[in-house]
Amino acid sequence: MADWKRWRGWLRAIHRDVGYLAVGFTIIYAISGIAMNHVDDWNYNYNSKERTLVIAPVPDDATDEQAAKLVADAAGTGNADDVFRAGDEVRLEYADGTKVTAIGAEVTVQEVKSRFFFRAVTWLHAAKGKQGWKYIADAYAVLLLYLAISGLFMIKGKLGLKWRGTLLVAIGVLVPVCYLYASGGPEAHKDKPKPQVSNVSS
Amino acid sequence: MSRPDFDRYPELKKAWDRREFIKSAAAGTAFMALGGALVRIAADDLTKAARAEKRGDGRARLPPGQRTLEYLRPMGGDPSDGDVKTFKLRVHGAVKTPFELDYAGLLKLPQVTKEADVHCVTGWTMLAGVWKGVQISMLAEKAGVKGEAKHVILEAAHGFTANAPLADATKDNCLVTYRLNGKPFQLQHGAPVRGLIPDLYFWKSAKWITGVRFVKDDEPGFWEVRGYHNHADPWKEERYG
Repeated sequence: MADWKRWRGWLRAIHRDVGYLAVGFTIIYAISGIAMNHVDDWNYNYNSKERTLVIAPVPDDATDEQAAKLVADAAGTGNADDVFRAGDEVRLEYADGTKVTAIGAEVTVQEVKSRFFFRAVTWLHAAKGKQGWKYIADAYAVLLLYLAISGLFMIKGKLGLKWRGTLLVAIGVLVPVCYLYASGGPEAHKDKPKPQVSNVSS
Repeated sequence: MSRPDFDRYPELKKAWDRREFIKSAAAGTAFMALGGALVRIAADDLTKAARAEKRGDGRARLPPGQRTLEYLRPMGGDPSDGDVKTFKLRVHGAVKTPFELDYAGLLKLPQVTKEADVHCVTGWTMLAGVWKGVQISMLAEKAGVKGEAKHVILEAAHGFTANAPLADATKDNCLVTYRLNGKPFQLQHGAPVRGLIPDLYFWKSAKWITGVRFVKDDEPGFWEVRGYHNHADPWKEERYG
């Protein structure tokens, strides 16, 4: 068979290799995309916990050390790494990010743990300000385009574009088109014209 | 549909398994979506009650397109270190006497406690938060805002800014605030100190605030130059520019 007639074989071979190359990127973009999509439901940067308890208020004349011990003992958080007092607040800080704040009789313990993986992948996903990554992400997008288009022609027959393929491609195109139609698209969410503003600061 | 005889037609088994899988996946997805919808409907009594209420100024308590939540949702952003010891608030711009406050200095200024609802552009509203802090109007007065100033820019960590007309930002419920419902803010909600301009969409209430700048000419902020409305009145649904 002439080489040019083996185009489908080449397409599949390149599709396979590009697919391997895209695995890491796809995992990063898919997981971070879901995380960012649901930003109003959870904090992908940090896992925060908060609890409150009531104690006998810290006397005004207590020294910083006395105040810190009183609050830390009540909160059960051990010796604080740093103590700060202002107004009616006693704030204790710990190296692991835990913060304990006593305001009068109420003590709030806030524990924050970084979600390293999600912080890292969402940081990459939001390419803003990261010049180098912007170009790497562009290259990945080109690979994805290749995967999408080459995928159309990889298989012959009724499992290919002739029947199943066309049906599924049509569904994939119709879902966003129908959503745009049903929701009215960006124009429906555009209200009054933007006021005339200046970028000049006084 | 009855199950084919796989012993007679073994080649059908693979296709049938795939069909069963797709059917199960579709049923599972539909079940989860329905469950989510039911949870949302069940939790909506508060929203109905809020819709029926009126504010003192005659407007509906719940702006159009909003539903209520009983807590602030974390909405992302690039936080500061949240450290009260290093906190600084710069009050500057078109003022006669610019000044800078640390956290203790902020607490020494006249304090107010205000009850206010806040409305996020993504569609949730938190009702009746009790916010404690210093009024932006008080900061304006202390700095001696010049007559030419018409806008306020709230400046925050990592260069975030949010703009608001002076008249909106100096209403008596607009604060530089460090406590909600008697508690300090969590880092994700702007600790140690954030802005509060409750009658505009909540992104205007900049978290991790570092400065209040009074300006003559408007300067659209971080979200405003990214397609969100420059004014952001929830009752006019000024969500996008």
